[in-house]
Amino acid sequence: MTGPVLAVAGLRAYYRTSAFGVRREVRAVDDVSLSVEPNEIYGLAGESSSGKTTLIKTIANAFQPPLQVLAGSVVFDFAGKRFDIHSLAARELAAIRWKHLSYIMQGSMNVLNPVRRVRQSFIDFAFRHIGGPLPEFLDLARKHLQRLHLEPQILDAYPHQLSGGMRQRVTIALATVCQPQFIIADEPTTALDVVVQKGVLAMIHEVQRALGSSILFVTHDMAVHANLSDRLGIMYAGRLVEEGRTADLFRNPRHPYTAHLIASLPQLGDSAPKQGLAGAPPNLADPPEGCRFHPRCPRASDICRREVPFLQGASGHRVACFHATAESVA
Amino acid sequence: MGRTLLDLLRYNRQFAAGAVLLLVVIGFACLSFFSPYAPNDAYVTAPDLPPDWTYPMGTTSRGQDLFWLLSFAIRNTLLFGLAVALFSRLLALLIGLVAGYSGGLVDRALMSLNDTFIVIPLFPILVLFYFVMRDRMSWGLLALMMACLGWAYDARLIRSVAMSLRHREFTETAIFSGMSTRQILVEEHLPYVLPIVFSTTMNNINWSIGLEVTLSVLGFTDINTPTIGVLIYWANQHTALVSGIWWWIFFPVLLVVMTFIGLFLLAVSMNEYIDPRSRLGRRAP
Repeated sequence: MTGPVLAVAGLRAYYRTSAFGVRREVRAVDDVSLSVEPNEIYGLAGESSSGKTTLIKTIANAFQPPLQVLAGSVVFDFAGKRFDIHSLAARELAAIRWKHLSYIMQGSMNVLNPVRRVRQSFIDFAFRHIGGPLPEFLDLARKHLQRLHLEPQILDAYPHQLSGGMRQRVTIALATVCQPQFIIADEPTTALDVVVQKGVLAMIHEVQRALGSSILFVTHDMAVHANLSDRLGIMYAGRLVEEGRTADLFRNPRHPYTAHLIASLPQLGDSAPKQGLAGAPPNLADPPEGCRFHPRCPRASDICRREVPFLQGASGHRVACFHATAESVA
Repeated sequence: MGRTLLDLLRYNRQFAAGAVLLLVVIGFACLSFFSPYAPNDAYVTAPDLPPDWTYPMGTTSRGQDLFWLLSFAIRNTLLFGLAVALFSRLLALLIGLVAGYSGGLVDRALMSLNDTFIVIPLFPILVLFYFVMRDRMSWGLLALMMACLGWAYDARLIRSVAMSLRHREFTETAIFSGMSTRQILVEEHLPYVLPIVFSTTMNNINWSIGLEVTLSVLGFTDINTPTIGVLIYWANQHTALVSGIWWWIFFPVLLVVMTFIGLFLLAVSMNEYIDPRSRLGRRAP
């Protein structure tokens, strides 16, 4: 295989508002670099307001003011062609979207227009990118729905006739019907109960393997990541604090924040009371100096208050912490 | 469509009643094409005859057969209402959707125009319009004028819906998949606001007919084109009520009341057809 499908370098995206003479700058994504290999599920985890959605919105170039990209680049590599997504013209962007790059939005249950039949949503969103005769496309859509264990007749239904899980599966079908190389999924299973969630996750995995595409999968649910992701990035307050193979990360979390996240997961046979992390994520309009985690960090020292740690480390397990625990020797 | 209409007729009494009333009125208007008299013929029958078998609605003091005259009048009135409603709906949809979707400066500019039209007092303007136009006043001009005055409330209503649609996931997905603004407005948002538009269309027809009748009764329109209002105007000129020619007032009023009630019932029940959710709710026994 060639290089990574997606390479993000030094991405900095702020919300900048200026209303009634008050300027505000919310540093939602600060200096994030990551890459996603072909045929890989990259998980992005972090608590609410840690900048996950903002990051993938900028990666997909699906954002509007006040969100601005100030620095950094997002480069996709589709079949040997490089696409710097922030410098593409609208037409070029439309040409790669859906066909190469698709995006399952947050609240994916509501991606379907409530007053139009599912068929219409398929035609509006996906058909324009595939082209060709319409009956052929509808056949393709039916086959694809079957792959996701949905009745082909669903095309003639209105969204409110489907259950929440079905709607999410339809949305996933919609995002994958053009067989894109890269799929961005923003909490596609969050509103579902665990049984349906398990089914949907299995389906995402199945489709991903069948298409051989890469997925950037975002959720705050660590248990989902443990099951699905090949590699995992942990975000805290707009920064990537740790990144590595999912198994390594769970076995040996090097960043204190990751350690807390994983320690908070319930485990069979473990009856010890879970300890919460004191405090709350920082206000991103006024983040703390130095490491953004230091006010809540049990290992914090002087240097953490002064300097920003960079993401570093060998063998693909990178961490941004001055007091990271040692890398495990395999 | 046909099936739905049949279902509506069978299960929705409001729709059935409204449809029957309107069909009667429209059927009556269509009779005007078979009238033996031209619309402005006068003194062609004996004046002041009460309703009987030869003249089912009697004759006027100007020697007109009220039955045929009324068929012209209701046709013109209906067409007037329809013209005003269609034209003002176009304006309301265009301005409401664009303002709600675009937001920002476009929204502010369009809405300040919109609010200006909301606070303008209609009636004095229309009377003034008559005095400016005088003999050049015609049916079409009045319809155009009223359409230009009648879109503002509904544009605000549509804008509010469009604003909420703007931030739904399906709009974001549509933008992401590269649909143009026009496509999003026409294909994704228009079906959503159509029930509102249908409902307001009926109300707008009622409103414009009501205003037209008011203006005509007072003589502030082209009194040579028979409409319901013009008929009542002439009846008043000939002091029909004082001289006991009650049918000259009664039948026009009856017809316009039927139109109002019919349109109102349709407006109320139309939602059931347009909105798929309530349509299915109704189908379930």
